[in-house]
Amino acid sequence: MNIFKTVLKILNKNKFIVILYSVILISFGGINMSSNETVDNFVATKPDIYIINNDVNKGITKNLIKYLSDNCNIVKLKDNEEAINDALFYRDANYIIYIPQGFREDFLSGKVDEIEIKSSGDYQSSFAGMILERYIKVAASFQGISDNEDDIIKGINETLSKKAKVNVVSKLDTSGMNRATVYYNFASYSILACLVYIICLILSSFKKPEIQRRTTISSSNYKSINRKLLASNSMLSVILWAVYVIVSFILIGSTMSSKHGAIYILNLLVFTICATTIAFFIGNLVNNKEAISGIVNVIALGSSFLCGAFVPMEYLPEGVLKAAHVLPSYYFIKSNEIVKTMEAVDSDALKPVFENMGILLIFSLLFVVLTNVVSRKKACS
Amino acid sequence: MIDMFIHNFKYAFKTLFRNKPLIFWTYAFPLIMATLFNLAFSDIENKEKLDIINIAIVDNEEFQQNIVFNKAYESLSDEKNEDRLFETKYVTRKEAKKLLNDGEIDGYLELKDGKPVITVVNNGINQTVIKYVAEEVAQAIFNQEEVKIKDISSSNLSYTMIEFYTLIAMTCLYGGILGTYAINMNLANMSSKGKRVSVAPVPKIKVILSSVCASYLVQIIGLMLLFAYTGFVIKVDYGSNLLMIIVLALVGSLAGLTLGVAVSSVFKTSQDSKTGIIIAITMLGCFLSGMMGITLKYYIDKSVPIINKLNPASMITDGYYSLYYYETLDRFKMNIVSLLVFSVIMITISVVSIKRQKYETV
Amino acid sequence: MENIIEISNLTKIYSELKAVDDLSFNVKEGEILGLLGPNGSGKSTTMNCLLSLIKYNEGTIKIFGKKMSPDSYDIKAKIGVVFQDVAVFEELSVYDNIDYFCGLYIKDKKTRAEYVEDAIKLVGLEDYKKFYPKKLSGGLLRRLNIACGIAHKPKLILLDEPTVAVDPQSRNNILDGIKKLRDEGATIIYTTHYMEEVEILCDRVIIIDKGKLLASGTTDELKKLARIEEKITIEVGKVDEKYIDIIKSWDSVEKVSLNANLLVITYSEGKNNLGNIMDYLNKEKIKYNKVYSERPTLNDVFLELTGKELRD
Repeated sequence: MNIFKTVLKILNKNKFIVILYSVILISFGGINMSSNETVDNFVATKPDIYIINNDVNKGITKNLIKYLSDNCNIVKLKDNEEAINDALFYRDANYIIYIPQGFREDFLSGKVDEIEIKSSGDYQSSFAGMILERYIKVAASFQGISDNEDDIIKGINETLSKKAKVNVVSKLDTSGMNRATVYYNFASYSILACLVYIICLILSSFKKPEIQRRTTISSSNYKSINRKLLASNSMLSVILWAVYVIVSFILIGSTMSSKHGAIYILNLLVFTICATTIAFFIGNLVNNKEAISGIVNVIALGSSFLCGAFVPMEYLPEGVLKAAHVLPSYYFIKSNEIVKTMEAVDSDALKPVFENMGILLIFSLLFVVLTNVVSRKKACS
Repeated sequence: MIDMFIHNFKYAFKTLFRNKPLIFWTYAFPLIMATLFNLAFSDIENKEKLDIINIAIVDNEEFQQNIVFNKAYESLSDEKNEDRLFETKYVTRKEAKKLLNDGEIDGYLELKDGKPVITVVNNGINQTVIKYVAEEVAQAIFNQEEVKIKDISSSNLSYTMIEFYTLIAMTCLYGGILGTYAINMNLANMSSKGKRVSVAPVPKIKVILSSVCASYLVQIIGLMLLFAYTGFVIKVDYGSNLLMIIVLALVGSLAGLTLGVAVSSVFKTSQDSKTGIIIAITMLGCFLSGMMGITLKYYIDKSVPIINKLNPASMITDGYYSLYYYETLDRFKMNIVSLLVFSVIMITISVVSIKRQKYETV
Repeated sequence: MENIIEISNLTKIYSELKAVDDLSFNVKEGEILGLLGPNGSGKSTTMNCLLSLIKYNEGTIKIFGKKMSPDSYDIKAKIGVVFQDVAVFEELSVYDNIDYFCGLYIKDKKTRAEYVEDAIKLVGLEDYKKFYPKKLSGGLLRRLNIACGIAHKPKLILLDEPTVAVDPQSRNNILDGIKKLRDEGATIIYTTHYMEEVEILCDRVIIIDKGKLLASGTTDELKKLARIEEKITIEVGKVDEKYIDIIKSWDSVEKVSLNANLLVITYSEGKNNLGNIMDYLNKEKIKYNKVYSERPTLNDVFLELTGKELRD
């Protein structure tokens, strides 16, 4: 029985699955293709807001809107309350400001009207709140200083124009690194899902009782058969790894050619090795073909969600991250996150990355040993 | 005839319920996904709130002498202050640089010739806030008067709820798989079991109706499990209108079930391919209604709303969203009507193709 | 006897293939009619037309004297069908499967319970009532398949190749069961490409090929068509060509062939053939081992009618 040929046949039959997971990965990587930001200058983050002006668009009110427009992004929305509410819920706009009717008139007569707002409650909206408050505070301090509205506006703007100087020290291409991290984190899902699925299918074809019996009585023992199967499956894994690396060069570009890029690629290779041994272990454990797609989804989705392949690690609850330490994906993604913010690539900075790779290799070894234990037990029974 | 209905219903129910892959996909998988969603998303919204920002101030002579800056940052870093923004370390410039490089702080402030200079590693919201506050202090705005701002937003603003709503939608549409089973077991051109039913002295449409009802019951039980789990254990908020929550669940399941029935009556392929078709349609529908990225649904609603109106997954998601977020039922009613129209179209397609009594081949 | 089924001029054309070609035959009450033909000869298509499962191009079909149509529920109620593929629910036990299909015919629960037990007994599945189909061997599965089709005690039973890939024990059980059903008063159409079964089981046989009726009659009547009376097979050592030519020249001998060490002689007449050939072999001192004498089979009939073997 030519093991490698059989493996290729099974792969060919199931190429749709490989293509599916790869397309998901590529479209996910593609969505995050925002343009390169320059890193030399400081660019202030602008919260997304929407203004409903019920007052005249003149004088002090007009100046308020101008100030907000300078410091925030004004999103374009259909001018109805439902569209505004939807935008707030889906965080298209973080802060909605309703300028009341007669705001300007009341201001000039010494009164500051209450302003209604809607807020999404996140940091962007808090910042938008700060910007609005700033203007009102400054404006209020000029109230009554002059009868001339233009003088008041001039005073307000002068005060508000005092700027702080900002130095940006990083030389890191943050957006490129971000994209690479998102891509490689997500690749852990595609690789794990693909490999577990395909390898389980391959093994289940080899583990049919009739064939199992034949191989058990044949001259080669279970260890050598496992070794041959592992070799042909590793070949698959390496091909998959290479394809995903090539795709990353196409999608992300220059970042991948840097030292940082090399670490991402190496890290993925180590993870691919580990994923292969996991797939091999599961394939040996599970004989039921029907159950494979269920198991693949639970394992791949589970470890991807818990380890931050989909939702960035910084957003995961502490408890989940602690529990994730038992999963290999955690160490892979953790390394990617370290590389993302690594200023200088030197042995000091790389130490934790190599430690994580070491842990992944220990995991691989563990799964190989477990696989042999399982198949020995099965061969005996 | 009612005897026949009950007899077939009983066995159809038993058959579906004992089908392990079927029960996994329609019962267990949504529960697993709900658990994963909960673990992954439960903290996102908290972490998106403006947190205390770690900064350092270069404690040089100029800073020590500038009372405005001194007092302002003391107050902004005061643990007792409700509007506290910073956790501030007063250090030398060298130390500040190190803290910044180690990622301990987001930026540091230094006064040079009376002007604040901020040093940060990269762009971001925290960095912007550091800059903005330094400017505010430099502008010397100390108006103690409270600014009158009234927050009139709804308190139900948790957008991660959408993830769970798409999960309900997914479960409703996965019910389509049950629908394909109900058809396949009864049509002569689909399975040999169907041939048996066709040669029995019973009207085909009645047997099918009875099987479809059994599928619906299996589906509803699964959905109720999911509601119980997400509602009581995970504490997903479905709003307070219990009756409407149930109505939407029933109508949504109907849309999923009829989709499966229609797919199964129109396409003459194996059960596995039909299951594949339903899963593909469901995943596409859920993708468009925001399962893999909540904002996608919003952008489709905003730019090409017709796509979501035709997408039952999106209508189910939107229905729960409107029960959660909106006080009036206008939008909800539109969702329900759209789902009902979808179901009627699916039923019509099914009836037309099932009504053919004889086939060219079996 | 009354005709239970009357088929006249039935024609069914799949896009290019004429699957059934102007076929006419009747089935009489209480008989087992064998429908014999190789794979793809149109047997199953004929069955499907009979049951109104598929459209046919021409012809009329009457069952119990009435025209058959998809909603002839009164006719359907009296028919039991066992299809070629095993059609049972994996998720239901043996008992539940039979009860489910029986329930499509028999509404009364008590009667049904009796009928289901009878069917189980008939096919000999008493020990497997609670088993699920996955745990049954191929033969037992076939028996279950039959029980599902006949549990409602139909007057007319159609069996489509019920013994394909079945072990000998199950096959005997199935054939016995079918005889029992006939003895209880059912009329049976039995479709198969196993001629041995037809010979054991059927009162009357119809041979079809390429959708056409080739011959019909009792087994004996059909065998006369073969123009052979006897076939003698002899295991021999070496035989010289000249002896074979001599044997060929005998009047009653139709054909002689020597394959490896098997000498096969077919006779058109059947008197004292065995004695004659034995005498001849002894006289010429030709050594032989075993000798078989056979009457012609339906395979020979089929060979005669079509020039090809029944089984390929």
